[in-house]
Amino acid sequence: MEKLLKELQHADLQRQTRRHFLQSCGFGLGALGLGSLLSSCGTSSGNTPMSEAALMAKIPQFAPKAKRVIYIHMAGAPSQLELFDYKPELLKYHGKDCPAEFLEGKKFAFIQGVPKMLGPQSTFKQYGQSGAWMSDYVPYLQTVADEITFMKAMHTDQFNHAPAQLLMHTGSARLGRPSLGAWATYGLGSENQNLPGFIVLASGGQQPDAGKSVYGSGFLPSVYQGVQCRTGGDPVLYVSDPSGMNRDMRKQTIEAINEINRQTYEDVQDPEILTRISQYEMAFRMQMSVPEVMDVSKEPQFILDMYGVKPGEGTFAMNCLLARKLVENDVRFVQLFDWGWDGHGTSKDHNVEGGLRQKCRESDQPVAALIQDLKMRGLLEETLVIWGAEFGRTPMQENRNGLVMPYMGRDHHLDAFTMWMAGGGVKRGYSHGETDELGYYGTKDRVHVHDLQATILHLMGFNHEKFTYPFQGRNFRLTDTEGKVVKQVLA
Amino acid sequence: MFLLLFQASGWFPNFAIFIGRFHPVLVHLPIGFLFIAALLEIGRRAGKIGVSESAISFILFWSSVSATFACIAGYLLSLGGGYDEKLLSDHQWQGIGVAAFAWIAWLVKSDRFGDKIPFGPAFYLPAFGLATILTMTAGHDGGSLTHGEGFLTQYTPEPFRSIAGMSPIQEKVTEIKPIENVEQAVVYRDIVQPILEMRCTQCHNANKQKGDLRLDELSLMQKGGESGPAFVAGKGSESDMVKRCLLDEEDDDRMPPKGKPQLTSAQITLISWWIDQGAPAEKKVSELKISDAVKPALASLGKNSTPDLAESKSKISPVLALKVPVADEKAIEALKKAGLIVNNLSHDQNLIEVSAVNAPQFGDSQMALLIPLAEQITWLKLGGTKITNAAMKEIAKLKNLNKLHLEHTGITDAGITNLKNLPYLEYINLVDTKVTDSGLKDIAVMKGLKSVYVWKSVVTDSAIGQVRKQYPGLVIVNGFNEAEVTQFLKAGDTTAKEDILPVKEK
Repeated sequence: MEKLLKELQHADLQRQTRRHFLQSCGFGLGALGLGSLLSSCGTSSGNTPMSEAALMAKIPQFAPKAKRVIYIHMAGAPSQLELFDYKPELLKYHGKDCPAEFLEGKKFAFIQGVPKMLGPQSTFKQYGQSGAWMSDYVPYLQTVADEITFMKAMHTDQFNHAPAQLLMHTGSARLGRPSLGAWATYGLGSENQNLPGFIVLASGGQQPDAGKSVYGSGFLPSVYQGVQCRTGGDPVLYVSDPSGMNRDMRKQTIEAINEINRQTYEDVQDPEILTRISQYEMAFRMQMSVPEVMDVSKEPQFILDMYGVKPGEGTFAMNCLLARKLVENDVRFVQLFDWGWDGHGTSKDHNVEGGLRQKCRESDQPVAALIQDLKMRGLLEETLVIWGAEFGRTPMQENRNGLVMPYMGRDHHLDAFTMWMAGGGVKRGYSHGETDELGYYGTKDRVHVHDLQATILHLMGFNHEKFTYPFQGRNFRLTDTEGKVVKQVLA
Repeated sequence: MFLLLFQASGWFPNFAIFIGRFHPVLVHLPIGFLFIAALLEIGRRAGKIGVSESAISFILFWSSVSATFACIAGYLLSLGGGYDEKLLSDHQWQGIGVAAFAWIAWLVKSDRFGDKIPFGPAFYLPAFGLATILTMTAGHDGGSLTHGEGFLTQYTPEPFRSIAGMSPIQEKVTEIKPIENVEQAVVYRDIVQPILEMRCTQCHNANKQKGDLRLDELSLMQKGGESGPAFVAGKGSESDMVKRCLLDEEDDDRMPPKGKPQLTSAQITLISWWIDQGAPAEKKVSELKISDAVKPALASLGKNSTPDLAESKSKISPVLALKVPVADEKAIEALKKAGLIVNNLSHDQNLIEVSAVNAPQFGDSQMALLIPLAEQITWLKLGGTKITNAAMKEIAKLKNLNKLHLEHTGITDAGITNLKNLPYLEYINLVDTKVTDSGLKDIAVMKGLKSVYVWKSVVTDSAIGQVRKQYPGLVIVNGFNEAEVTQFLKAGDTTAKEDILPVKEK
């Protein structure tokens, strides 16, 4: 303790610039002496640190329908034309040249010249009482068709993965804005004091293209950023105590460090120090709570079977099961990323035939199981499940560099794609929006990314136009200057 | 000159408007003065009263002065803009005329200047008369500027109305009458027009055309207003009149504007559908294509339905509209000390939500802490706590309870039965409790109850089937057991043809 205090004083002195000196000239010097005297006497607690208040459960603008969110992002973008947007007409055009009107003034990530049209590679049927169209790629999702609201005429502004993912999660294609989960925890705080309010789980072997910024806190204080947990091994690296360190000792260490940080904060008033204090405290509590909540070994076998999970695996299926466990423990926002959906047709794994089918085989069952599981626990009513990607895929076959791809593949498409939501205040068994007969462009009830974000915030109890944060001289919001709540999808 | 001086300085606009707003005050002075002067003049000339010419001249002087100031104030007021230009210019010149002729009438009679004007006395009566007449016309135009044209005669009664050749008074439609036979109703005349008349035409009619738009006739709707046609036949969702109804209430372009009665979503659906079908003037419902989305909206028009009420009731829990007093701070503090989360449902509501997610040790002995907040507690989450049946007696006192989480607790039928009289309870989570069939049947009678979760309780599927039959509005959710999971897993086997496409390495 003494050594630490000395270090603190040393750091303090280094930080004393001319300005600080002049500032504290009046009584500062005296107070400094007194302060160090007092702190060595151990007068620490008293006022609640601001950081704890920052994460306490807070009040929304109106009574929310969705208390929690599970956002499943299929990074790379699966093809809506093989999964949900049934276009029998497209089959007739299969192999024919793409009509010129589709290409004029349009930009694509890879398509060049005049590509060929590509018919659906899957077979479709209608399911549930709602008659939702789904393909044989998603046999399990068919069983929960009547829980889902599809938005079939989604559209975005960006045709590359990273900017499109940023736009989807932060409302801007450029770096620096807070993500949806960060906004949610900023607005609503966290209910379970032993777990972070915003947890991220990734699978598929790679992180999303846009990196950590898709779950970052942007200009919001960094307490609101997503905390990524590993799915196999220690959920959070180095969270367990090293051998020889017992819990009491750990507690004393953290208390001492936080005390020093608190003194530094009082001197320099940098809010990031508060973040650090609360992270230490959270980490201490997480040492107990995280391993417990991330441990699936106590789940009954039939639940593991339902998700298709084997303990110890770091798969997407495992992440779905964990997502359920996390929202069951009142974690506010759980973000799932699964990489590997970029079906250009360039390789065995990345195409809209066998490759997409394989990705669906890995993810369809756990997603359906998640909805089923949430429902039977009485959680689905208050939990909004969102499924989608950063954009969709073209009705044309990809022809990068003028070549024929080895597999059936589609390019990135921003004018039409499908997303779906379930639970938390959205309609059950409903389909919103339509695309033209080739699935190229939304013809009815188009929903822009900002509209979706406005709708999600609405469900969580916020008017997206009034939910702002002042930064660099103006108020910022998730939807920037755009976005209309899609009232038709609200239950 | 002093106007220029004003204009040069920055505080001119506010000051001008400040002075301008005095126009309605000042303007009544010359009106009164001129009329009293005219009456005295008539009385004097008729020999009925004894009043000196100088007295009338004195009144004329003050008429002229006040008329001049009224003109200046009026001009400043007009700078603010927002008036019908033609009407404004008429009013302005008539007002200036009043001041000018009043000055002339006074000048030719005044002791000091009267003699110096050739044929002075000859101007007196014409100027006086003109000033008086212009007062009346300027006053009328001024009234029209303020209250809108036609304000004066809007409610002219019969028979004067027909004599003057005016159209009959427009009845304000306050409610839409149910339609006898919806199938045979003419869509525009019987469905769309009544909606427009109730919600739109007050501001978009022959007399008042906000945004240059009229919605009282089909052809004029198509013609549109400032922002283009009100609808594009065949494209309901892209039509301005539909889009504006769906905008956020805060949006400036929203119609009807904030604060005015709004269209219901069924009404918007109907108008949008009519436009989708090409906005026909004469076609009947049965002649158009009816999609599933329109069916409930159409059904709501019939005799035996109360559409909007039914719609709003099912959507929003009535408890959320309750006004209750602010919760007692001390009681909240006591709950927080016990480790519970206590928060208002929203910034505008005093109803509160209480969660024990961080207090798994919470038990029966602490239940009394909830009682001071009995009126406010709406959502209560006690899942996974130590509470037992004894706690249910206290919960039964939370009269505005709406959602209740009791999962993973030791509650049994004996406890559950206490809840029967909670009028607003809609959601009960009994997952992993000891509740049995009789407990379920006990609470199923509750009128407001919407969903009950009974997975891993003792409730049997046969009892759920019975209760479902008896109370079709109640959603009872049970979950999977081992056998049902096996069934669920078959979904993958039956449809997935084992056809991983033969992969050709290229």
